[in-house]
Amino acid sequence: MNGSGVPLAAFVTAMLAAGLVAAVPLVLAALGEAVGEKSGLLNLGIEGMMLAGAFFGFLAAFQTGSAVLGVLGGIAAGAVLGLVFAALTVSLRVDQVLVGLAITIFGGGLTAFLYRDIFGGQNPSLNVDAPRIAIPLLSRIPVAGPAMFNQGVLFYLAFALVPAFAFVLARTRFGLQVRAVGEYPFAADAAGVDVTRTRYLAALIAGSMAGLAGAFLAVADLKIFQVGMTVGMGFIALALTMVGGWNPYRILLASVLFGLLRSLGNGLQILGIDVRTEFITMLPYIGIMIALAILAGRTSIPAALGIPYARGRR
Amino acid sequence: MNRHRGRLGIIAASAVLVQATLSGSILAQDATPAATPGAGVTVEQIAVVTPSARTNQGWDQQAADAVDSVAAAAGIEPVVAENGGYDDITPILRDLAAGGAGLIICHASGYQTVCPEFAAESGVPVAVIENPGAVAPGLVADIETQAQEVAYLAGVLAGNTTETGTVGVVVSGEPPTWNYMTVGFAEGLKAANADATMLYSVIGEAAYDDAAGAKRVTEQQLAADADVIFGMGDGASFGMIQAIEEHNAAEGATKAWFIDVIGDKKVEHGDVLLSSVLFDYTGIYTQMLDDLAAGTFGDIYTMDVQNGGVRLLDLPEDLAQETKDAVAEAEAAIVDGSLTVSAISDAEEMKAKVAELFPE
Repeated sequence: MNGSGVPLAAFVTAMLAAGLVAAVPLVLAALGEAVGEKSGLLNLGIEGMMLAGAFFGFLAAFQTGSAVLGVLGGIAAGAVLGLVFAALTVSLRVDQVLVGLAITIFGGGLTAFLYRDIFGGQNPSLNVDAPRIAIPLLSRIPVAGPAMFNQGVLFYLAFALVPAFAFVLARTRFGLQVRAVGEYPFAADAAGVDVTRTRYLAALIAGSMAGLAGAFLAVADLKIFQVGMTVGMGFIALALTMVGGWNPYRILLASVLFGLLRSLGNGLQILGIDVRTEFITMLPYIGIMIALAILAGRTSIPAALGIPYARGRR
Repeated sequence: MNRHRGRLGIIAASAVLVQATLSGSILAQDATPAATPGAGVTVEQIAVVTPSARTNQGWDQQAADAVDSVAAAAGIEPVVAENGGYDDITPILRDLAAGGAGLIICHASGYQTVCPEFAAESGVPVAVIENPGAVAPGLVADIETQAQEVAYLAGVLAGNTTETGTVGVVVSGEPPTWNYMTVGFAEGLKAANADATMLYSVIGEAAYDDAAGAKRVTEQQLAADADVIFGMGDGASFGMIQAIEEHNAAEGATKAWFIDVIGDKKVEHGDVLLSSVLFDYTGIYTQMLDDLAAGTFGDIYTMDVQNGGVRLLDLPEDLAQETKDAVAEAEAAIVDGSLTVSAISDAEEMKAKVAELFPE
């Protein structure tokens, strides 16, 4: 309760780093979700896909001793669930909300079952090398440098993917097709865009990114798997996708804001600021609601979001 | 626009549905005959409802393991209903009763109200955590854990171990048991090291499985110079340990230690584990079965340092002898009654007490 003697520079660095690292799985999952939703697929299974990514990433890394294979395992698990989502919602036109929820429940149940079945009552840690990479010069910037430029590979990758996704969505033929099938699939179809193929690809990307987000948690960040370890991050990523208006840069801002506010709340507690715990834990959600209120009206939901497409049927 | 609002409404409703579904609900078909005070009941199945996974090497696992152990010794069937969550568990209780449970352990302070209500409605005996007011002969027993006593010992251990003079407490929520222990730890720390600084952080409302959140909080406490972390986290504790291990691996870092709550993680994390607060429920669960058979069920069952219901994990062999002596001395004082540790369950009162002990 007494934080008066806290070494301030190191503490602020840790607070900043904690906020940014907390944003990484949210950014990864929300970027994928943005592509899926832009194509008209509302994927509520993101939480289950993250859990699958975390578990299979952990399992692959545990079995092979390789963090790289672990991350690939996580991506593959998310991708498989993404394809399942696409098969059910795009090909069979099952309600997207129901399929998404089913995948979330399935992901939670499957990973809990397999984890116990494979590891029994043990909670092993990974013994893999996931080193930090200090960017020369930048990592020496006081306070912010170590927080931003002395991190793991996936940290940098998450931030690097933001402009990449923005470019793909805004400037490429595939991005145009994704946006077209999410806004007016009938017109896109008439113009020669393969709606089914485009949505399958979007679902694959969404699942892969959710799997990567889960693998980041289990393989790179915590080096453990815990039943239900995503603790609702998938749903937060879903909300951040909407708050960010399906724009990768805004999604990054919203995710970082969420992470930093959570980190700030922790910091206030350590500094002994007399604020009720409930308020501190609410802080990031209040911030997001304010952001939502500010951005309301400036974004438009993809017109065909959640609506299955069948050629010739309106 | 209306269509979009409607869709967002569906999403919100769906999220609620997920939560409800994960909490579990299957209707019960019938109920177990009611226990009557004074009349002995032979229990053929003992059940426990835990809020989280039974494999978390924490709060949930200790109860699940104890139920298994007691059932094996008594030759009856154990049932563990895990991941009950923190909402209304009545459907789960109905399922257990329909399945033949003769005693249901409601292993979360969040079940303090729903379980006595269910016992009154169904007649199935239950045991609740930290709710002595609910005790009813033949129906409701209360488990009181004098966890503050063993946390005091942990505080003495931390106070004698810290080199920076800063000690951190990280909790995954503020349930009564964690609050009792925070106060006990603070008093022990103050007694052992009057100049120490104590940091306190809550990960979230019920962040028992939030290992990632726990890691961030612990990293911040370590950056604030803490070199002993007392972590009450359940599954979240693994995140705390990860933070300490990474901190210790950094060049030039002060060696940091972890005092765990519940479970023995020495094999995996002996390099950072200073000790652990252990709860052993087997004694009181066995007593409950005996009391049900004798018709005397419905009492307050206490676990304390004296009866061994709560204790510290054996201290590391290479720990300084004076530290071991200080812990042993405090333990003896608690057992002989010359030392009383404050018992505070309310979060705000707990914070006031800690602020009194460690003023700015």
